[in-house]
Amino acid sequence: MTPVLQVTNIRKQFGGLTAVDGVSFSVNEGEILGIIGPNGSGKSTLFNCVLGQLQPTEGEVRVDGQPVTGLRPCDLNRLGVSRTFQLLQVFPQLSVRDNLILAGQEHKGSMGTRLFGARDAGLTGDANRMIEFFRLSHVADEKAGGLSYGQQKLLDAAMAFMAGPRLVLLDEPAGGVNLTMLGHLRERLKAINAEQNATFVVIEHNMEFVMALCDRIIVLAEGKVIAEGTPDAIRSNPEVIEAYLGH
Amino acid sequence: MMDFLTSRAFKGTVFVLLVAGLIILPFFLRPFGLLLVAMWMVHAVAALGLNLTLGYAGQISMAQGAFVGIGAYCTGLMTLAGVPYPVAFLCSGALCFAIGWILGYPALRVQHHYLAFVTLAFSTLVFLVMRNEEWLTNGIYGLTDIPRPILFGWNTGKAKDFYFFTLLMTSILAFCVWWIIRSPWGRAFVALRENPVRALSLGVDTRRYTLMAFAMGSSIGGFAGALYAPLVQFFEPNSFSLTLSLKLLLMVIVGGAGTFFGPFIGAATEVLLPEWLRIAQGYYLIIYAMLVMVLMMFCPTGIIGLGERLISHLRQKKISSERSAQAQVMGADKPGQKEGAGQ
Repeated sequence: MTPVLQVTNIRKQFGGLTAVDGVSFSVNEGEILGIIGPNGSGKSTLFNCVLGQLQPTEGEVRVDGQPVTGLRPCDLNRLGVSRTFQLLQVFPQLSVRDNLILAGQEHKGSMGTRLFGARDAGLTGDANRMIEFFRLSHVADEKAGGLSYGQQKLLDAAMAFMAGPRLVLLDEPAGGVNLTMLGHLRERLKAINAEQNATFVVIEHNMEFVMALCDRIIVLAEGKVIAEGTPDAIRSNPEVIEAYLGH
Repeated sequence: MMDFLTSRAFKGTVFVLLVAGLIILPFFLRPFGLLLVAMWMVHAVAALGLNLTLGYAGQISMAQGAFVGIGAYCTGLMTLAGVPYPVAFLCSGALCFAIGWILGYPALRVQHHYLAFVTLAFSTLVFLVMRNEEWLTNGIYGLTDIPRPILFGWNTGKAKDFYFFTLLMTSILAFCVWWIIRSPWGRAFVALRENPVRALSLGVDTRRYTLMAFAMGSSIGGFAGALYAPLVQFFEPNSFSLTLSLKLLLMVIVGGAGTFFGPFIGAATEVLLPEWLRIAQGYYLIIYAMLVMVLMMFCPTGIIGLGERLISHLRQKKISSERSAQAQVMGADKPGQKEGAGQ
C-alpha cells in the first residue's frame, strides 16, 4: 500500500545551521503519527519543508506516491493536504462561519465561478455542520477575533478539516488550550479520524495529549530522528528520556 | 433599534435613500453645485477602487491618482480623435487593468512601506510621462474641449444631463465593487489582508489574488478617470500628480478602509467639505487637518468605524441597563417568594 505521506531524507540548512538533517518517515492512510522533540529540534521546520512553506535543501516529499517537493502550499492544499500552525492563525475580522467558508471555497469551481457564483460558494451547510461538530454554534456569527483562545484553537482545527483533506498536519494543536478544551479537541480529532479515515501528523509538546492521540510517534533531536515506535515504546526509550531531560 | 442600525436592511435603506436623494438633487442645485456633487461621485469611484486594493486586500498603493490620470488621458485622447465614448470608457478601464496587473508584481515581493514607495515611484513616472511626452499628452497644456458623450440619442452635454450620466455610471461601478466584495473573492481579499500565510495554506492563490486586487482597483481608478475627463472637459498633468493619490488615500482612510460606504464618506469630506467650510476661509485646511488628526488618534478605522463603535457602545449600554432592570425585578420578587413560602 502506498503511504499517504512519504518523506525521504529531508534536510534544511539556514546558512551554517542544519535545522533538519536527513529525516525520513512515512504515514499510512488513517494513521495518526506524532512528532515530538525538545524546543529547536526541527519539528516546525520539517513541517514547513513538507508543506511547501520552506524549500528543503535536500530530500523528497511524496503525497499518495506523487512527488510534491517544493509545491506551493495552496497547490498542496488543493491536493488534499491541510495544516494548522503553531501560533493561532484565524482571520479575526471574519465571522466564524466565514472563516470556515473561506477554508473550503478555493476547492469549489474556478476563480471565474467564484466571482459570479453564490456568495457562500455553496458551503454554508458544510460550515454549519463543522461548527456543530466542533461545538461552536453559539459563536457562529461572532467575529473570530472576539473568541476565547480555546475557541479560536478549535476554529483553527475546524478550518483545517473544512475541505475534507486526506492528510492533516497539526502543529501544536494543544498549545495554550485548557484541560476541558483539550479533552474536547482530542475527542473531535479521534472522531474525524474514525469517521473519515483521515490521516494526521501531529507535532505536540503535551505528552499526555500526544500519547493518547497517536498510533505511532517519532522523536526528533537536533534535526535528526532519534526514536520511532508506539507511544508506550517511546515513553520508556532511554534516548528519548536523555534528549528531553539531558542526562 | 441598535440591531437595525447594523442590519443589511439598514444599509440597503441608506443606499436607496442616498440614490433617491441624488436623483432629486439636481432640481434644487445650480450647475456649480451639480459639478461639485458629480466631482464627489467621480472621486468616490476612484476611492472605491483604492479601497478594494488597500482596504480589502491590504495592498498599499499610492498610485491611484496616476490611474485616474491614465483613464482620463485615454478617454480624452480617444474621444478627441472621434472614438465613441463607450469604447474609450472601456479602453480606459482595460488599460488600467493591464498596467495595474503589472504593478501588482512588486507586491508579490515587497509589502507595506516598501510597496508604498514602489507605487509612489510609479505615480511619479506616470506624471513625468504626462508632463513631458508632448507628442502624446500635449504636455503642460493638457487636453481641452473634451466632448461629453451622446448615448443612444441622449446628449449629456448639459450639466444636469451629465450629472445623471455620472450618477448612473457611479451606481453601476459601485454595484460591481459591491458584487466583488460580497463574493468569495471579497473573502479571499480579506484573508490576503489579514493573514496571507494562512490563506495560502487554505488553498487561496495569494499571488493571483494580489495581482487581481491591484488590477481591479486600478481599473476602477481608470473608469473614474474616464468619467472625470468629460466632466471637467479640460485637464493638465498637475490634476493627477501625487497629491491626488494622497488625497484618495486619505479619503479611504478617513471614510473607513475595508468598508463599502467608507470611500463615499471619505470623498465627501475631501470634495464637499471645503465648499461647506468656505466660511472658515483660509482656516479650512487647518480645521480639516486637525479633524483628521483627532479622528486617526481616537478612531483609526475612520468615520464608519466611529459609527460602528458608537453603535456597539450604545448596544452594550442597552444590554447593561436591561440586565440591571432584570436584577431589580428579581430582587423585588424575592421578598414576595419568601412571604409566599412562609404562608
